[in-house]
Amino acid sequence: MSNPLAIETQDVRRIYKIRGPKTKGEPTTRVALDGVDLQVKRGELFGLLGPNGAGKTTLIKILATLLLPSSGTARVDGFDVVRDTEEVKRRISMVSGGETSGYGLLTVEESLWMFARFYGLENKVAKDRIAAMAQIMGLEERMRAKISDLSTGLRQKMNFIRGFVTDPNVVFLDEPTLGLDVQAARDVRGFVRQWMDDHPDRTLLLTTHYMAEADEMCDRLAIIDSGKLLVCDTPANLKRSLQTEAVFNLKVAPLGAKPKDGDLLEAVPGVSRVNVADVNGHTELALTLRAEDALPEVLAYLTRRGSSLIALEKREPTLEDVFIKVTGRRLDQAADAEKAAE
Amino acid sequence: MAALEKDIIRSQERVKKLHGFALFWAVVWARAYPRIIGALRQKSWLFFETVFPLMGVIGYIYVYRSVNAPQEYIGFVVLGGAMTAFWLNVLWSMASQLYWDKEDGNLEIYVLCPAPMMAILIGMAIGGMLMSATRAAVIIIVCSLAFGVVYNVGSIPLLIAVFLLTMTALYGMGMMFASVFLASGREAWHLANLMQEPIYLVSGFYFPVKALGALVATAASIVPLTLGMDGMRQLLFPSEQATGLMPVELEVVLLILLGVLFIGGAYFALRKLEQIGRREGRLIERRR
Amino acid sequence: MTLVQRLHNIPAVNQSPALRAFVTAAWLGWQIESNWARPFLFAVYVIARPISSVLILVIMYSVITNGATGEPIFAFIYFGNALYILVNSVVTGVSWAVIEDREHYRVAKQIYTAPMNTYAYLLGRGVARLIIGSVSVLITLTFGVLAFRIPLDINVLLFLAATIFGLASLSALGVILGAVTMQTARLQTDLGSLVSGGLYLFTGAIFPLDVLPSWLQPVGYLFPVTYWLEVTRRALLGAHAARFPTFAAFSDWGLIGVLALMTALLWLASGWVYSAALRRSKEEGLIDIETNF
Ligand SMILES: Nc1ncnc2c1ncn2[C@@H]1O[C@H](COP(=O)(O)OP(=O)(O)OP(=O)(O)O)[C@@H](O)[C@H]1O
Ligand SMILES: [Mg+2]
Repeated sequence: MSNPLAIETQDVRRIYKIRGPKTKGEPTTRVALDGVDLQVKRGELFGLLGPNGAGKTTLIKILATLLLPSSGTARVDGFDVVRDTEEVKRRISMVSGGETSGYGLLTVEESLWMFARFYGLENKVAKDRIAAMAQIMGLEERMRAKISDLSTGLRQKMNFIRGFVTDPNVVFLDEPTLGLDVQAARDVRGFVRQWMDDHPDRTLLLTTHYMAEADEMCDRLAIIDSGKLLVCDTPANLKRSLQTEAVFNLKVAPLGAKPKDGDLLEAVPGVSRVNVADVNGHTELALTLRAEDALPEVLAYLTRRGSSLIALEKREPTLEDVFIKVTGRRLDQAADAEKAAE
Repeated sequence: MAALEKDIIRSQERVKKLHGFALFWAVVWARAYPRIIGALRQKSWLFFETVFPLMGVIGYIYVYRSVNAPQEYIGFVVLGGAMTAFWLNVLWSMASQLYWDKEDGNLEIYVLCPAPMMAILIGMAIGGMLMSATRAAVIIIVCSLAFGVVYNVGSIPLLIAVFLLTMTALYGMGMMFASVFLASGREAWHLANLMQEPIYLVSGFYFPVKALGALVATAASIVPLTLGMDGMRQLLFPSEQATGLMPVELEVVLLILLGVLFIGGAYFALRKLEQIGRREGRLIERRR
Repeated sequence: MTLVQRLHNIPAVNQSPALRAFVTAAWLGWQIESNWARPFLFAVYVIARPISSVLILVIMYSVITNGATGEPIFAFIYFGNALYILVNSVVTGVSWAVIEDREHYRVAKQIYTAPMNTYAYLLGRGVARLIIGSVSVLITLTFGVLAFRIPLDINVLLFLAATIFGLASLSALGVILGAVTMQTARLQTDLGSLVSGGLYLFTGAIFPLDVLPSWLQPVGYLFPVTYWLEVTRRALLGAHAARFPTFAAFSDWGLIGVLALMTALLWLASGWVYSAALRRSKEEGLIDIETNF
C-alpha cells in the first residue's frame, strides 16, 4: 500500500485501425486517446465525463487489460497493465452498462457463482456474498430465474453484482446506469457511494454522460473530449472556477426576430457565453456574464430588439456550464459533432 | 438476517482468494458445471443429439450388411459412430466455442478475470464430454445388442489407456483450435465445416484406416482419432489385427506425443491470442 | 438496379406479400451465403464435404467387395449419397436460418414484427443453400461418373418432374424443422443436419430399403425423400438402376404420382405446423430467445 495512486497513466495514446471499404483519402486510423495523463488516488471515486466517442471506454479497456495502449504507460493498483496483466486482473473488476451477455440457460445464481469461482473465491464465500449482493440490489427473488428470462435492466443488475462479489481493489464502471430505470439507477448510485464509504482503501472509476450523476457521486472528475483530458478536479472546484462569472437564465417572448448567439456577444460587452434555445413558444437564453453589472445592458439590448422579458433567474453554475466552457459545446451538440465526424 | 447479509459486503475484511493450482481446479469445475447443467436442463437436446446420430450409424451398418461384410466391420462402424460424438463435440463445442463466446459478449469477461484461459477451456471440455459420452454410450450399447457385435478384448487396461490418451490429445487439439478459430473470426465456422466430413474419411471412422493406403493414413495420424481408433479396433477385434496401421504400442507412444504437442500448442496459441486481441482491440469484443 | 429490386417490380411479386417475402429472403440468404463463391469456401462446401462423405461409402464398399464398382449396387449407393446432399442442404438451410437470425444476427424481433409472410420468408432463406447444394450434387455426380465409370442413361422429363417435386417436398420438410427449431435452444449440431443424418437410415439413400427389417421399412415409405431418390436414380441411370425390388411394382410415373401426392400433403402439414409453432413461440416468448451454455 506504499503507492497512494490506484490508477496512473502517462501519455497514453490509442490509435485504432479502421477496417472495411473506404473511399480514397479517408483516414485509415482513428485516434481514440491522445496523450492521457491521469492520476487517481486510492480511495477516490473518480468520474470520466465526456460525449459519445470521447474515448472513455477505450481508456477503461486499457486500464482493465483488455486493450493495449499504442504508446504510453498505465498502472493500476501499482501494477503495469501491459507487463503485469495477471496481477492487475486479480485486483480489478469491470462492469459495462447495457451489457446483456450471459449464458441464457443458467440461473442468475449459477452464473454469478461461476464467475466468482473464476476469481478464486471459496465456494461458501462466493455463495454468501452473492446472496448478500442480491439482497442489496433487490434481485434476491430472481436468483433462481434463468438469465434468458430476465429483462435487460435485471441482467445489468446481475452484471453489476458480478463486479462487486469478487471484492476488488479497483472497480471500473462504464456507464453503469445506462438503461436502468430511475429507481434502479438510484440504487446503483447509492450502493456505489456506500461501498466506497465502507471501504476507504478501494478505488472506483466511473464513466458517464449524465452530468448530475457525475456531480452527485464523484470525488473528482475529468472531462474528456476527442481523446484528451481537458480538466480534472473536484466537481465543486470545477464549478467554482466559473464563479467569478455570473450565470443567468432568461426567458423572453419572441417578439421581433429571434436573437442569435453571436448578436448578443457582439452587441453587449461583458457577455462571455450565450446559448439560445426556443422552448414552448418563447426563447430561453443561457447567459454567462463576465460580471453581474453587464445585465442591464443585456436587458436594454433585448428591449431594443423588441423582446420582452418573461422571467429572469440567477443560477449556480453546473457541470454542464463547465463542460460548455472547456469543450466549447454542450454535451448534446458535442454528440452531434461526433456523429458528423463518423 | 437482512442486516447480517449486508454486513458481508460492508465488512472491511478482505475476501480470501484461491491462487495457483487451487484456482485452476476451481475454474475447471466452475466452467464445466453450466455445461452439465445445460445438458440436463435441455432434455430435448440429449434426445436429439442421441437418437438421430444413432440412426445415422445404423444406416452405415446396413451399408455393410447390404454387401455382406464380415461381422467385425459392423463393430468398426459402432466404434467409429461412437467416436463421432467426441469429434463433433471437439469441433463444435470446443474449437468454435470461444468464437461463440465472443459473439455472446462473454469472452471479454473471461479474458478480464484472473482465471487461466486453459482452465476455462478444460472445464468446457469436461462439461461437453457428458453429452458426448452419453451419445457414444447409447450408440455402442444399442448397436452392439441389436446387431450382435462381439468384442474380444485382450487387454482391458491397454484399451482404456488408448482411449484416454486419444481423448487427451483430441481435446488438446480442440483447445488449440479454439484460439486458431477465434483468430480467424467468422471463418471459424467454415473451418469447422471443412474438418467435419473430411476427417470422418481420412481418420477411418467407418473402415480400417489402412484402406486409404499407408501414406494417407500416416498423414491423417496427426488427428489423434486416427491412431486412437486404429488401436482400439485392433484391441477390440483381434481377429482383424491385420487391418491395423501399426502396432498398438507404437500408437500409444505417438498418442502421448500428440497430447503434449497439442496441449503445449494450445497454451501458446492462447497467449498469442490474448496478445493480439489486446493490440488490435477487436478480437475479443463483439463488433459487427 | 439490382436483380432483387427488378424482381420486386414484377407486378405479381409486388402485390403478393408472400412472394415479396420469399424473393427478399432468397436475396438475403444469398448475400449471407454468397461468399461461398470464394475459392476456399467453394472448396470446403461444394467439394471437400460432399466428396468426402461419398468417398467414405466408396471405401466401405471397396474394402468388402475388392473394388467392384461396376455393380449396380455401387451406382445405387453413390447416386443415393450424392443426391442426399440436397436433403442436407435444403433442410439445414431453413432450420439454420432460424438460429442464425435469432442468435447470430439477433434480428428475430425485427423479422417477426415485420408485416410479411414469415413462412414464405423462411422458405426463401433456404434458397441459397439449395442452389449451392445443387452445384455440389452436380460436381459429386460428375466425379462419380468420371472416376468410377458409372453408366448414365438420362430421362430428362422424368428427371425434371422428380426434381420439382423433390425440392418442393424438401423445402416443406425444412420449414417443419425450422418450426421445431423455433421452439428449441441452440443445439450443438443444428436440427436440420441431425434429422437429415437420421433419415439416411430410412430413405433408402445408401442401401436398398429391403435390407431393413420389415417392420422398419414402412417408416421409409412415409417420406417423400424415399420416392424422390428412387425416381431420380431411375431417371439418371435407366436400366442400370431398376434392379432393386424395393419399388419394383411401381412404374416411373407411378412413383412420380406418389411423390406428388406426398409432397402436397407435406406442404399442408408444414403450413399447419409452422403456424402452430409461431403461435406457441409467441405464447411462450420464444421468438427471440438466446441460448448459450
Ligand atoms: N475497435 C475499434 N475500431 C475502430 N475504432 C474504434 C474502436 N473502438 C472504438 N473506436 C473509436 O474510438 C473512439 C473512442 O471510442 P470509445 O468507445 O472509447 O468512446 P466512448 O467515450 O466510450 O463513447 P460512448 O460514450 O459512446 O461510449 C470513437 O471514435 C470510436 O468510434
Ligand atoms: Mg463507451
